[in-house]
Amino acid sequence: MATLSSRDRVKWAFLLPALVYLMLLAIFPLIWTLTLSFTRWNANTMARPQFIGLENFRYFLFEDPRFWFDLRFTAMYVAVAVSVELVLGLLLASLLSQSFRGKNFFRVIFLIPMACPPIAVAFLWRMMLHPDIGVINSMLQGIGLRAVKWTTSAAVAPFTIMMVDIWEWTPFMFLALLAALQSLPTELYQSAAVDGATSWQMFRGITLPLITPMIITVSLIRAIDAFKLFELVFGITGAGPGGATESLSYYVYLIGMKWFKLGRGSAISWLFVILLIGLALILISRFRRERTQ
Amino acid sequence: MLDAHGIGKRRPVGVLITWVILLVFSVWTLFPIFWAAVTSFKQPGESYTTTFIPYRQFKPTLHAWKDAFVTTRDRTLRSLLNSIIIATLSSAAVLLLGAFAGYSLARFIYRKWKNKDIAFFILSQRMFPPVAVLIPYFLIMQNLRLLDNITSIIIVHTAMNLPLAVWLMLDFFADLPKDLEEAAMIDGCSHFRAFVSIALPIAAPGLVAVYVLAFILSWNEFIFVIVFGYSKAMTLPVMIAGSLSVRGLDFWKVASLSIMAIIPPVILAMVFSRYLVRGLTMGAVKE
Repeated sequence: MATLSSRDRVKWAFLLPALVYLMLLAIFPLIWTLTLSFTRWNANTMARPQFIGLENFRYFLFEDPRFWFDLRFTAMYVAVAVSVELVLGLLLASLLSQSFRGKNFFRVIFLIPMACPPIAVAFLWRMMLHPDIGVINSMLQGIGLRAVKWTTSAAVAPFTIMMVDIWEWTPFMFLALLAALQSLPTELYQSAAVDGATSWQMFRGITLPLITPMIITVSLIRAIDAFKLFELVFGITGAGPGGATESLSYYVYLIGMKWFKLGRGSAISWLFVILLIGLALILISRFRRERTQ
Repeated sequence: MLDAHGIGKRRPVGVLITWVILLVFSVWTLFPIFWAAVTSFKQPGESYTTTFIPYRQFKPTLHAWKDAFVTTRDRTLRSLLNSIIIATLSSAAVLLLGAFAGYSLARFIYRKWKNKDIAFFILSQRMFPPVAVLIPYFLIMQNLRLLDNITSIIIVHTAMNLPLAVWLMLDFFADLPKDLEEAAMIDGCSHFRAFVSIALPIAAPGLVAVYVLAFILSWNEFIFVIVFGYSKAMTLPVMIAGSLSVRGLDFWKVASLSIMAIIPPVILAMVFSRYLVRGLTMGAVKE
Protein backbone atom coordinates (compact mmCIF):
# COMPACT_ATOMS: atom_id res chain seq x y z
CA MET A 1 0.00 0.00 0.00
CA ALA A 2 2.69 2.44 -1.02
CA THR A 3 0.51 5.28 -2.16
CA LEU A 4 -3.09 5.43 -1.14
CA SER A 5 -4.99 7.94 -3.16
CA SER A 6 -6.98 10.35 -1.06
CA ARG A 7 -10.12 8.53 -2.09
CA ASP A 8 -8.72 5.26 -0.82
CA ARG A 9 -7.68 6.77 2.47
CA VAL A 10 -11.11 8.23 3.01
CA LYS A 11 -12.72 4.96 2.03
CA TRP A 12 -10.90 3.01 4.66
CA ALA A 13 -11.00 5.78 7.25
CA PHE A 14 -14.77 5.59 7.16
CA LEU A 15 -14.99 1.84 7.38
CA LEU A 16 -12.04 0.78 9.49
CA PRO A 17 -13.17 1.98 12.93
CA ALA A 18 -16.30 -0.15 12.87
CA LEU A 19 -14.52 -3.07 11.28
CA VAL A 20 -11.64 -3.00 13.74
CA TYR A 21 -14.04 -2.70 16.66
CA LEU A 22 -15.92 -5.76 15.50
CA MET A 23 -12.71 -7.68 14.84
CA LEU A 24 -11.52 -7.02 18.36
CA LEU A 25 -14.80 -7.63 20.10
CA ALA A 26 -16.58 -10.16 17.97
CA ILE A 27 -14.14 -12.17 15.87
CA PHE A 28 -11.17 -12.31 18.20
CA PRO A 29 -13.27 -13.48 21.18
CA LEU A 30 -14.83 -16.20 19.07
CA ILE A 31 -11.40 -17.43 18.04
CA TRP A 32 -10.25 -17.29 21.64
CA THR A 33 -13.29 -19.34 22.61
CA LEU A 34 -12.34 -21.86 19.98
CA THR A 35 -8.82 -22.24 21.37
CA LEU A 36 -10.14 -22.52 24.91
CA SER A 37 -12.58 -25.21 23.85
CA PHE A 38 -9.66 -27.57 23.39
CA THR A 39 -8.56 -27.10 26.98
CA ARG A 40 -9.54 -28.04 30.44
CA TRP A 41 -9.68 -25.00 32.68
CA ASN A 42 -11.54 -25.02 35.91
CA ALA A 43 -10.89 -21.38 36.75
CA ASN A 44 -11.72 -21.89 40.41
CA THR A 45 -8.84 -24.28 40.96
CA MET A 46 -6.47 -23.95 38.02
CA ALA A 47 -4.35 -20.96 37.14
CA ARG A 48 -3.91 -21.85 33.49
CA PRO A 49 -5.71 -23.93 30.91
CA GLN A 50 -4.55 -27.43 30.10
CA PHE A 51 -4.67 -28.77 26.57
CA ILE A 52 -6.89 -31.82 26.18
CA GLY A 53 -7.75 -31.87 22.52
CA LEU A 54 -11.27 -32.84 21.49
CA GLU A 55 -12.18 -34.22 24.91
CA ASN A 56 -14.76 -31.50 25.67
CA PHE A 57 -16.55 -32.02 22.39
CA ARG A 58 -16.55 -35.75 22.90
CA TYR A 59 -18.07 -35.20 26.32
CA PHE A 60 -20.94 -33.05 25.12
CA LEU A 61 -21.72 -34.98 21.99
CA PHE A 62 -21.44 -38.51 23.36
CA GLU A 63 -21.52 -38.47 27.12
CA ASP A 64 -23.62 -35.61 28.40
CA PRO A 65 -27.38 -36.24 28.30
CA ARG A 66 -28.06 -32.75 29.58
CA PHE A 67 -26.66 -31.17 26.44
CA TRP A 68 -28.94 -33.19 24.21
CA PHE A 69 -31.93 -32.64 26.47
CA ASP A 70 -31.43 -28.88 26.45
CA LEU A 71 -30.87 -28.90 22.70
CA ARG A 72 -34.09 -30.83 22.14
CA PHE A 73 -36.03 -28.58 24.49
CA THR A 74 -34.67 -25.42 22.87
CA ALA A 75 -35.33 -26.73 19.37
CA MET A 76 -38.86 -27.77 20.23
CA TYR A 77 -39.50 -24.44 21.85
CA VAL A 78 -38.26 -22.61 18.74
CA ALA A 79 -40.34 -24.75 16.42
CA VAL A 80 -43.57 -24.41 18.37
CA ALA A 81 -43.25 -20.78 19.39
CA VAL A 82 -42.27 -19.50 15.96
CA SER A 83 -44.99 -21.53 14.23
CA VAL A 84 -47.71 -20.25 16.53
CA GLU A 85 -46.43 -16.70 16.23
CA LEU A 86 -46.45 -17.05 12.47
CA VAL A 87 -49.98 -18.39 12.27
CA LEU A 88 -51.38 -15.86 14.71
CA GLY A 89 -49.48 -13.03 13.09
CA LEU A 90 -50.70 -14.00 9.64
CA LEU A 91 -54.27 -14.32 10.84
CA LEU A 92 -54.21 -10.91 12.46
CA ALA A 93 -52.44 -9.30 9.54
CA SER A 94 -54.97 -10.69 7.08
CA LEU A 95 -57.82 -9.35 9.16
CA LEU A 96 -56.35 -5.91 9.38
CA SER A 97 -54.68 -5.31 6.07
CA GLN A 98 -57.46 -3.15 4.82
CA SER A 99 -56.86 0.38 5.89
CA PHE A 100 -59.23 1.31 8.59
CA ARG A 101 -59.26 3.96 11.22
CA GLY A 102 -57.10 3.25 14.20
CA LYS A 103 -54.54 1.11 12.42
CA ASN A 104 -51.64 3.23 13.60
CA PHE A 105 -52.99 3.20 17.11
CA PHE A 106 -52.95 -0.58 17.19
CA ARG A 107 -49.54 -0.74 15.62
CA VAL A 108 -48.20 1.35 18.50
CA ILE A 109 -49.96 -0.82 21.07
CA PHE A 110 -48.63 -4.01 19.55
CA LEU A 111 -45.04 -2.79 19.68
CA ILE A 112 -45.15 -2.67 23.45
CA PRO A 113 -44.35 -6.32 24.29
CA MET A 114 -41.25 -6.23 22.09
CA ALA A 115 -40.02 -3.01 23.67
CA CYS A 116 -40.20 -4.33 27.24
CA PRO A 117 -37.06 -5.70 28.86
CA PRO A 118 -37.39 -9.49 28.52
CA ILE A 119 -36.33 -10.07 32.12
CA ALA A 120 -39.08 -7.76 33.37
CA VAL A 121 -41.54 -9.62 31.15
CA ALA A 122 -40.30 -12.90 32.60
CA PHE A 123 -40.70 -11.84 36.21
CA LEU A 124 -44.09 -10.24 35.60
CA TRP A 125 -45.44 -13.39 34.01
CA ARG A 126 -43.88 -15.50 36.76
CA MET A 127 -45.80 -13.39 39.22
CA MET A 128 -49.07 -13.71 37.31
CA LEU A 129 -48.65 -17.41 36.64
CA HIS A 130 -47.86 -18.41 40.22
CA PRO A 131 -49.74 -21.73 40.61
CA ASP A 132 -51.17 -20.88 44.03
CA ILE A 133 -51.61 -17.16 44.25
CA GLY A 134 -51.13 -15.87 40.75
CA VAL A 135 -53.83 -13.75 39.20
CA ILE A 136 -54.18 -15.97 36.12
CA ASN A 137 -55.09 -19.03 38.13
CA SER A 138 -57.36 -16.94 40.33
CA MET A 139 -59.22 -15.75 37.26
CA LEU A 140 -59.43 -19.26 35.83
CA GLN A 141 -60.87 -20.55 39.07
CA GLY A 142 -63.20 -17.60 39.17
CA ILE A 143 -64.86 -18.78 35.97
CA GLY A 144 -64.99 -22.37 37.12
CA LEU A 145 -61.87 -23.83 35.54
CA ARG A 146 -59.10 -25.64 37.37
CA ALA A 147 -55.87 -23.95 38.33
CA VAL A 148 -52.95 -24.83 36.06
CA LYS A 149 -49.53 -25.80 37.37
CA TRP A 150 -47.84 -23.28 35.10
CA THR A 151 -44.39 -23.40 36.60
CA THR A 152 -44.44 -26.41 38.87
CA SER A 153 -45.28 -29.14 36.40
CA ALA A 154 -42.49 -30.47 34.20
CA ALA A 155 -45.08 -31.20 31.53
CA VAL A 156 -46.69 -27.75 31.52
CA ALA A 157 -43.67 -25.54 32.18
CA PRO A 158 -42.22 -25.77 28.65
CA PHE A 159 -45.52 -24.59 27.25
CA THR A 160 -45.62 -21.77 29.78
CA ILE A 161 -42.33 -20.49 28.42
CA MET A 162 -43.62 -20.81 24.87
CA MET A 163 -46.78 -18.97 25.79
CA VAL A 164 -44.89 -15.99 27.14
CA ASP A 165 -42.67 -15.94 24.08
CA ILE A 166 -45.76 -15.98 21.91
CA TRP A 167 -47.15 -13.08 23.92
CA GLU A 168 -43.96 -11.17 23.39
CA TRP A 169 -43.27 -11.80 19.71
CA THR A 170 -46.55 -12.41 17.88
CA PRO A 171 -46.80 -8.64 17.38
CA PHE A 172 -43.47 -8.78 15.54
CA MET A 173 -44.83 -11.29 13.04
CA PHE A 174 -48.06 -9.38 12.80
CA LEU A 175 -46.39 -6.05 12.02
CA ALA A 176 -43.94 -7.51 9.52
CA LEU A 177 -46.61 -9.49 7.67
CA LEU A 178 -49.00 -6.56 7.74
CA ALA A 179 -46.44 -4.42 5.97
CA ALA A 180 -45.85 -7.22 3.49
CA LEU A 181 -49.56 -7.63 2.79
CA GLN A 182 -50.02 -3.95 2.25
CA SER A 183 -47.27 -3.82 -0.32
CA LEU A 184 -49.05 -6.27 -2.58
CA PRO A 185 -50.38 -4.79 -5.81
CA THR A 186 -54.13 -4.30 -5.95
CA GLU A 187 -54.50 -5.03 -9.67
CA LEU A 188 -54.10 -8.77 -9.14
CA TYR A 189 -56.99 -8.80 -6.73
CA GLN A 190 -59.12 -6.66 -8.99
CA SER A 191 -58.71 -8.96 -11.93
CA ALA A 192 -59.29 -11.99 -9.72
CA ALA A 193 -62.48 -10.40 -8.45
CA VAL A 194 -63.58 -9.81 -12.02
CA ASP A 195 -62.99 -13.50 -12.69
CA GLY A 196 -65.23 -14.31 -9.76
CA ALA A 197 -62.67 -15.60 -7.26
CA THR A 198 -63.72 -15.94 -3.63
CA SER A 199 -61.82 -14.36 -0.76
CA TRP A 200 -60.32 -17.69 0.18
CA GLN A 201 -59.26 -18.43 -3.39
CA MET A 202 -57.64 -15.04 -3.63
CA PHE A 203 -55.81 -15.65 -0.37
CA ARG A 204 -54.53 -19.04 -1.38
CA GLY A 205 -53.76 -18.22 -4.97
CA ILE A 206 -52.45 -14.68 -4.79
CA THR A 207 -51.61 -13.57 -1.27
CA LEU A 208 -49.93 -16.66 0.07
CA PRO A 209 -47.51 -17.26 -2.81
CA LEU A 210 -46.55 -13.60 -2.87
CA ILE A 211 -45.80 -13.26 0.81
CA THR A 212 -44.17 -16.65 1.26
CA PRO A 213 -40.65 -15.18 0.84
CA MET A 214 -41.37 -12.67 3.58
CA ILE A 215 -42.82 -15.39 5.78
CA ILE A 216 -39.66 -17.43 5.44
CA THR A 217 -37.42 -14.46 6.13
CA VAL A 218 -39.15 -13.23 9.27
CA SER A 219 -39.54 -16.79 10.53
CA LEU A 220 -35.79 -17.28 10.19
CA ILE A 221 -35.06 -13.99 11.94
CA ARG A 222 -37.39 -14.95 14.76
CA ALA A 223 -36.03 -18.53 14.95
CA ILE A 224 -32.42 -17.39 15.24
CA ASP A 225 -33.35 -15.00 18.02
CA ALA A 226 -35.52 -17.59 19.74
CA PHE A 227 -32.65 -20.06 19.96
CA LYS A 228 -30.87 -17.67 22.28
CA LEU A 229 -33.61 -18.22 24.88
CA PHE A 230 -32.30 -17.09 28.24
CA GLU A 231 -34.25 -14.41 30.09
CA LEU A 232 -37.56 -16.27 30.09
CA VAL A 233 -35.93 -19.38 31.49
CA PHE A 234 -34.02 -17.38 34.08
CA GLY A 235 -37.03 -15.39 35.19
CA ILE A 236 -40.05 -17.64 34.91
CA THR A 237 -38.87 -21.09 35.88
CA GLY A 238 -35.20 -20.85 36.77
CA ALA A 239 -34.80 -23.76 34.33
CA GLY A 240 -37.13 -25.80 36.51
CA PRO A 241 -38.88 -27.76 37.59
CA GLY A 242 -35.90 -30.05 37.83
CA GLY A 243 -34.23 -28.72 34.70
CA ALA A 244 -37.27 -29.34 32.53
CA THR A 245 -37.07 -25.91 30.93
CA GLU A 246 -33.34 -25.45 30.71
CA SER A 247 -32.36 -23.80 27.47
CA LEU A 248 -29.01 -24.20 25.75
CA SER A 249 -28.01 -20.62 26.57
CA TYR A 250 -28.82 -21.18 30.22
CA TYR A 251 -26.66 -24.31 30.36
CA VAL A 252 -23.77 -22.50 28.68
CA TYR A 253 -24.13 -19.69 31.21
CA LEU A 254 -24.11 -22.16 34.11
CA ILE A 255 -21.01 -23.98 32.91
CA GLY A 256 -19.01 -20.89 32.09
CA MET A 257 -20.12 -18.24 34.55
CA LYS A 258 -21.42 -20.17 37.53
CA TRP A 259 -19.23 -23.24 37.62
CA PHE A 260 -16.31 -21.51 35.91
CA LYS A 261 -15.42 -24.52 33.79
CA LEU A 262 -14.01 -22.31 31.08
CA GLY A 263 -12.78 -25.08 28.79
CA ARG A 264 -16.08 -26.95 28.79
CA GLY A 265 -18.02 -23.70 28.53
CA SER A 266 -16.05 -22.68 25.46
CA ALA A 267 -16.65 -26.00 23.78
CA ILE A 268 -20.38 -25.94 24.27
CA SER A 269 -20.42 -22.29 23.17
CA TRP A 270 -18.92 -23.32 19.88
CA LEU A 271 -21.34 -26.16 19.42
CA PHE A 272 -24.07 -23.60 19.91
CA VAL A 273 -22.46 -21.22 17.41
CA ILE A 274 -22.16 -23.96 14.81
CA LEU A 275 -25.81 -24.72 15.30
CA LEU A 276 -26.82 -21.13 14.67
CA ILE A 277 -24.39 -20.67 11.79
CA GLY A 278 -26.49 -23.08 9.79
CA LEU A 279 -29.63 -21.00 10.25
CA ALA A 280 -27.76 -17.74 9.85
CA LEU A 281 -26.24 -18.80 6.54
CA ILE A 282 -29.66 -19.62 5.16
CA LEU A 283 -31.00 -16.24 6.23
CA ILE A 284 -28.03 -14.37 4.83
CA SER A 285 -28.20 -16.15 1.51
CA ARG A 286 -31.83 -15.04 1.27
CA PHE A 287 -30.81 -11.44 1.90
CA ARG A 288 -28.13 -11.75 -0.76
CA ARG A 289 -30.59 -13.00 -3.34
CA GLU A 290 -33.03 -10.26 -2.50
CA ARG A 291 -30.39 -7.60 -2.90
CA THR A 292 -29.27 -8.75 -6.30
CA GLN A 293 -32.79 -8.70 -7.66
CA MET B 1 -62.85 -10.65 5.28
CA LEU B 2 -59.61 -11.97 3.91
CA ASP B 3 -59.58 -9.81 0.84
CA ALA B 4 -56.69 -7.55 1.45
CA HIS B 5 -57.56 -4.60 -0.64
CA GLY B 6 -61.09 -3.55 -0.06
CA ILE B 7 -62.39 -5.43 -3.03
CA GLY B 8 -65.95 -6.33 -2.35
CA LYS B 9 -68.13 -4.94 0.37
CA ARG B 10 -67.21 -5.29 3.99
CA ARG B 11 -70.18 -6.61 5.80
CA PRO B 12 -70.85 -4.99 9.18
CA VAL B 13 -70.44 -8.39 10.78
CA GLY B 14 -66.94 -8.59 9.36
CA VAL B 15 -66.04 -5.19 10.76
CA LEU B 16 -67.43 -6.14 14.14
CA ILE B 17 -65.51 -9.39 14.27
CA THR B 18 -62.33 -7.58 13.32
CA TRP B 19 -62.75 -5.05 16.09
CA VAL B 20 -63.56 -7.74 18.64
CA ILE B 21 -60.47 -9.71 17.72
CA LEU B 22 -58.37 -6.56 17.86
CA LEU B 23 -59.74 -5.66 21.25
CA VAL B 24 -59.16 -9.13 22.65
CA PHE B 25 -55.62 -9.15 21.35
CA SER B 26 -54.97 -5.69 22.74
CA VAL B 27 -56.21 -6.67 26.17
CA TRP B 28 -54.05 -9.80 26.06
CA THR B 29 -51.07 -7.69 24.99
CA LEU B 30 -51.47 -4.96 27.58
CA PHE B 31 -52.66 -7.03 30.52
CA PRO B 32 -49.29 -7.87 32.13
CA ILE B 33 -48.25 -4.24 32.15
CA PHE B 34 -51.62 -3.14 33.42
CA TRP B 35 -51.38 -5.77 36.14
CA ALA B 36 -47.87 -4.67 37.12
CA ALA B 37 -49.07 -1.08 37.43
CA VAL B 38 -52.06 -2.05 39.57
CA THR B 39 -49.97 -4.34 41.79
CA SER B 40 -47.39 -1.66 42.36
CA PHE B 41 -50.01 0.48 44.04
CA LYS B 42 -51.29 -2.21 46.37
CA GLN B 43 -50.29 -3.04 49.91
CA PRO B 44 -47.69 -5.83 49.92
CA GLY B 45 -50.11 -8.16 51.61
CA GLU B 46 -52.64 -7.59 48.85
CA SER B 47 -50.28 -8.24 45.93
CA TYR B 48 -52.06 -11.45 45.04
CA THR B 49 -55.63 -10.28 45.09
CA THR B 50 -57.58 -10.02 41.89
CA THR B 51 -58.93 -6.58 42.58
CA PHE B 52 -57.99 -3.87 40.16
CA ILE B 53 -60.10 -0.77 40.58
CA PRO B 54 -58.40 1.63 42.96
CA TYR B 55 -60.50 3.20 45.70
CA ARG B 56 -63.51 1.04 44.84
CA GLN B 57 -61.91 -2.35 45.37
CA PHE B 58 -58.67 -1.69 47.18
CA LYS B 59 -56.91 1.15 48.86
CA PRO B 60 -54.02 2.32 46.73
CA THR B 61 -50.73 2.98 48.44
CA LEU B 62 -47.31 4.21 47.52
CA HIS B 63 -45.58 1.59 49.64
CA ALA B 64 -43.86 -0.19 46.77
CA TRP B 65 -42.70 3.07 45.26
CA LYS B 66 -41.49 4.43 48.58
CA ASP B 67 -39.57 1.22 49.10
CA ALA B 68 -37.87 1.63 45.76
CA PHE B 69 -37.03 5.30 46.10
CA VAL B 70 -36.52 5.66 49.81
CA THR B 71 -35.62 2.39 51.48
CA THR B 72 -33.40 1.07 48.73
CA ARG B 73 -32.78 4.48 47.28
CA ASP B 74 -29.09 4.02 46.62
CA ARG B 75 -29.50 0.84 44.67
CA THR B 76 -32.52 2.06 42.75
CA LEU B 77 -30.95 5.33 41.73
CA ARG B 78 -27.69 3.63 40.88
CA SER B 79 -29.43 1.08 38.67
CA LEU B 80 -31.49 3.76 36.98
CA LEU B 81 -28.50 6.00 36.41
CA ASN B 82 -26.35 3.15 35.12
CA SER B 83 -29.05 2.04 32.71
CA ILE B 84 -29.36 5.56 31.38
CA ILE B 85 -25.63 6.17 31.05
CA ILE B 86 -24.88 2.84 29.46
CA ALA B 87 -27.69 3.06 26.94
CA THR B 88 -27.00 6.68 26.06
CA LEU B 89 -23.26 6.30 25.59
CA SER B 90 -23.16 2.91 23.91
CA SER B 91 -25.85 3.97 21.42
CA ALA B 92 -23.90 7.13 20.65
CA ALA B 93 -20.78 5.08 19.95
CA VAL B 94 -22.83 2.70 17.85
CA LEU B 95 -24.25 5.58 15.85
CA LEU B 96 -20.86 7.17 15.29
CA LEU B 97 -19.10 4.02 14.15
CA GLY B 98 -22.13 2.71 12.33
CA ALA B 99 -22.98 5.83 10.37
CA PHE B 100 -19.48 6.14 8.95
CA ALA B 101 -19.26 2.46 8.12
CA GLY B 102 -22.76 2.26 6.66
CA TYR B 103 -22.14 5.30 4.48
CA SER B 104 -18.86 3.91 3.22
CA LEU B 105 -20.45 0.63 2.26
CA ALA B 106 -23.24 2.46 0.49
CA ARG B 107 -21.11 4.93 -1.44
CA PHE B 108 -17.57 3.68 -1.92
CA ILE B 109 -16.42 0.67 -3.85
CA TYR B 110 -14.12 -1.77 -2.15
CA ARG B 111 -12.17 -3.94 -4.49
CA LYS B 112 -10.26 -6.34 -2.31
CA TRP B 113 -13.26 -7.57 -0.39
CA LYS B 114 -16.47 -6.70 -2.12
CA ASN B 115 -18.95 -4.37 -0.46
CA LYS B 116 -21.60 -7.04 -0.27
CA ASP B 117 -19.28 -9.51 1.42
CA ILE B 118 -18.18 -7.00 4.02
CA ALA B 119 -21.78 -6.03 4.69
CA PHE B 120 -22.97 -9.59 5.13
CA PHE B 121 -19.96 -10.43 7.25
CA ILE B 122 -20.89 -7.60 9.58
CA LEU B 123 -24.55 -8.58 9.59
CA SER B 124 -23.70 -12.15 10.53
CA GLN B 125 -22.27 -10.93 13.85
CA ARG B 126 -25.77 -10.12 14.93
CA MET B 127 -26.75 -13.75 14.77
CA PHE B 128 -24.30 -15.16 17.26
CA PRO B 129 -25.59 -16.03 20.71
CA PRO B 130 -24.29 -13.64 23.38
CA VAL B 131 -23.40 -16.58 25.66
CA ALA B 132 -20.83 -17.68 23.13
CA VAL B 133 -18.60 -14.71 23.86
CA LEU B 134 -19.23 -14.50 27.60
CA ILE B 135 -16.08 -16.36 28.57
CA PRO B 136 -13.57 -14.39 26.48
CA TYR B 137 -15.29 -11.12 27.39
CA PHE B 138 -15.01 -12.07 31.02
CA LEU B 139 -11.32 -12.83 30.68
CA ILE B 140 -10.68 -9.60 28.79
CA MET B 141 -12.56 -7.47 31.29
CA GLN B 142 -10.91 -9.22 34.19
CA ASN B 143 -7.49 -8.48 32.72
CA LEU B 144 -8.44 -4.85 32.15
CA ARG B 145 -9.81 -4.72 35.71
CA LEU B 146 -13.10 -3.56 34.30
CA LEU B 147 -15.36 -6.08 35.97
CA ASP B 148 -18.33 -4.45 37.67
CA ASN B 149 -17.52 -1.22 35.86
CA ILE B 150 -19.99 0.42 33.51
CA THR B 151 -17.21 1.03 31.00
CA SER B 152 -17.03 -2.67 30.25
CA ILE B 153 -20.76 -2.83 29.68
CA ILE B 154 -20.67 0.19 27.39
CA ILE B 155 -17.91 -1.46 25.35
CA VAL B 156 -19.82 -4.72 25.14
CA HIS B 157 -23.15 -3.14 24.25
CA THR B 158 -21.51 -1.12 21.50
CA ALA B 159 -20.14 -4.33 20.02
CA MET B 160 -23.52 -5.96 20.41
CA ASN B 161 -25.48 -3.31 18.51
CA LEU B 162 -22.89 -2.27 15.95
CA PRO B 163 -23.63 -4.97 13.33
CA LEU B 164 -27.31 -4.12 13.10
CA ALA B 165 -26.54 -0.41 13.09
CA VAL B 166 -24.08 -0.69 10.20
CA TRP B 167 -26.57 -2.78 8.25
CA LEU B 168 -29.43 -0.33 8.84
CA MET B 169 -27.29 2.71 8.04
CA LEU B 170 -26.15 1.03 4.86
CA ASP B 171 -29.80 0.48 4.03
CA PHE B 172 -30.74 4.11 4.71
CA PHE B 173 -27.83 5.63 2.83
CA ALA B 174 -28.29 3.31 -0.12
CA ASP B 175 -31.82 4.63 -0.47
CA LEU B 176 -30.63 8.22 -0.67
CA PRO B 177 -29.99 9.56 -4.18
CA LYS B 178 -26.36 10.43 -4.77
CA ASP B 179 -27.05 13.57 -6.79
CA LEU B 180 -26.64 16.15 -4.04
CA GLU B 181 -23.38 14.71 -2.82
CA GLU B 182 -21.99 14.34 -6.31
CA ALA B 183 -22.92 17.92 -7.13
CA ALA B 184 -21.19 19.13 -4.01
CA MET B 185 -18.06 17.14 -4.76
CA ILE B 186 -17.88 18.50 -8.27
CA ASP B 187 -17.80 21.89 -6.61
CA GLY B 188 -14.74 20.77 -4.68
CA CYS B 189 -16.25 19.35 -1.53
CA SER B 190 -14.37 16.51 0.15
CA HIS B 191 -16.00 13.15 0.84
CA PHE B 192 -16.01 13.91 4.51
CA ARG B 193 -17.71 17.28 4.03
CA ALA B 194 -20.26 15.76 1.68
CA PHE B 195 -21.03 13.12 4.26
CA VAL B 196 -21.33 15.47 7.20
CA SER B 197 -23.04 18.42 5.54
CA ILE B 198 -25.30 16.71 3.04
CA ALA B 199 -25.85 13.02 3.64
CA LEU B 200 -26.16 13.07 7.41
CA PRO B 201 -28.83 15.78 7.63
CA ILE B 202 -30.98 14.08 5.01
CA ALA B 203 -30.56 10.72 6.73
CA ALA B 204 -31.43 12.22 10.11
CA PRO B 205 -34.60 10.13 10.55
CA GLY B 206 -32.54 7.01 9.95
CA LEU B 207 -29.91 8.15 12.44
CA VAL B 208 -32.55 8.75 15.07
CA ALA B 209 -34.12 5.38 14.38
CA VAL B 210 -30.82 3.54 14.78
CA TYR B 211 -30.02 5.42 17.97
CA VAL B 212 -33.41 4.66 19.47
CA LEU B 213 -33.23 1.01 18.53
CA ALA B 214 -29.73 0.67 20.00
CA PHE B 215 -30.88 2.48 23.14
CA ILE B 216 -33.81 0.12 23.63
CA LEU B 217 -31.67 -2.97 23.00
CA SER B 218 -29.02 -1.78 25.43
CA TRP B 219 -31.56 -0.80 28.11
CA ASN B 220 -33.22 -4.22 27.88
CA GLU B 221 -30.07 -6.29 27.76
CA PHE B 222 -29.65 -8.89 30.47
CA ILE B 223 -26.98 -11.56 30.03
CA PHE B 224 -24.01 -9.25 29.78
CA VAL B 225 -25.14 -6.99 32.57
CA ILE B 226 -25.62 -9.73 35.11
CA VAL B 227 -22.14 -11.04 34.35
CA PHE B 228 -20.36 -7.69 34.19
CA GLY B 229 -22.49 -5.49 36.42
CA TYR B 230 -23.42 -7.32 39.55
CA SER B 231 -22.97 -4.56 42.09
CA LYS B 232 -21.56 -1.12 41.33
CA ALA B 233 -22.42 -1.31 37.67
CA MET B 234 -25.89 -2.69 38.28
CA THR B 235 -28.65 -1.81 35.82
CA LEU B 236 -32.42 -1.99 36.22
CA PRO B 237 -32.73 -5.49 34.75
CA VAL B 238 -30.14 -6.71 37.25
CA MET B 239 -32.00 -5.09 40.10
CA ILE B 240 -35.22 -6.76 39.05
CA ALA B 241 -33.49 -10.11 38.95
CA GLY B 242 -32.02 -9.38 42.35
CA SER B 243 -35.44 -9.03 43.91
CA LEU B 244 -35.60 -12.80 43.88
CA SER B 245 -34.78 -13.63 47.47
CA VAL B 246 -34.70 -16.83 49.49
CA ARG B 247 -38.37 -16.38 50.36
CA GLY B 248 -39.31 -16.15 46.72
CA LEU B 249 -40.43 -13.08 44.83
CA ASP B 250 -41.80 -9.96 46.41
CA PHE B 251 -44.38 -9.25 43.75
CA TRP B 252 -44.93 -5.67 44.75
CA LYS B 253 -41.21 -4.97 44.44
CA VAL B 254 -41.05 -6.68 41.07
CA ALA B 255 -44.11 -4.74 39.93
CA SER B 256 -42.76 -1.30 40.71
CA LEU B 257 -39.25 -2.02 39.41
CA SER B 258 -40.63 -3.55 36.25
CA ILE B 259 -42.80 -0.53 35.55
CA MET B 260 -39.73 1.65 35.97
CA ALA B 261 -37.76 -0.54 33.59
CA ILE B 262 -40.57 -0.80 31.05
CA ILE B 263 -41.60 2.82 30.71
CA PRO B 264 -38.58 4.35 28.93
CA PRO B 265 -38.15 1.80 26.13
CA VAL B 266 -41.89 1.55 25.61
CA ILE B 267 -42.27 5.30 25.29
CA LEU B 268 -39.36 5.42 22.87
CA ALA B 269 -40.87 2.58 20.86
CA MET B 270 -44.24 4.27 20.72
CA VAL B 271 -42.81 7.58 19.59
CA PHE B 272 -40.56 6.05 16.95
CA SER B 273 -42.82 3.17 16.01
CA ARG B 274 -42.53 3.76 12.31
CA TYR B 275 -38.85 2.91 12.21
CA LEU B 276 -38.78 0.04 14.63
CA VAL B 277 -40.32 -2.58 12.42
CA ARG B 278 -37.77 -1.84 9.74
CA GLY B 279 -35.00 -2.03 12.30
CA LEU B 280 -36.15 -5.23 13.92
CA THR B 281 -36.51 -7.05 10.63
CA MET B 282 -33.10 -5.80 9.50
CA GLY B 283 -34.60 -3.86 6.66
CA ALA B 284 -36.57 -6.74 5.24
CA VAL B 285 -39.73 -4.78 5.87
CA LYS B 286 -39.87 -1.12 4.94
CA GLU B 287 -43.02 0.66 5.97
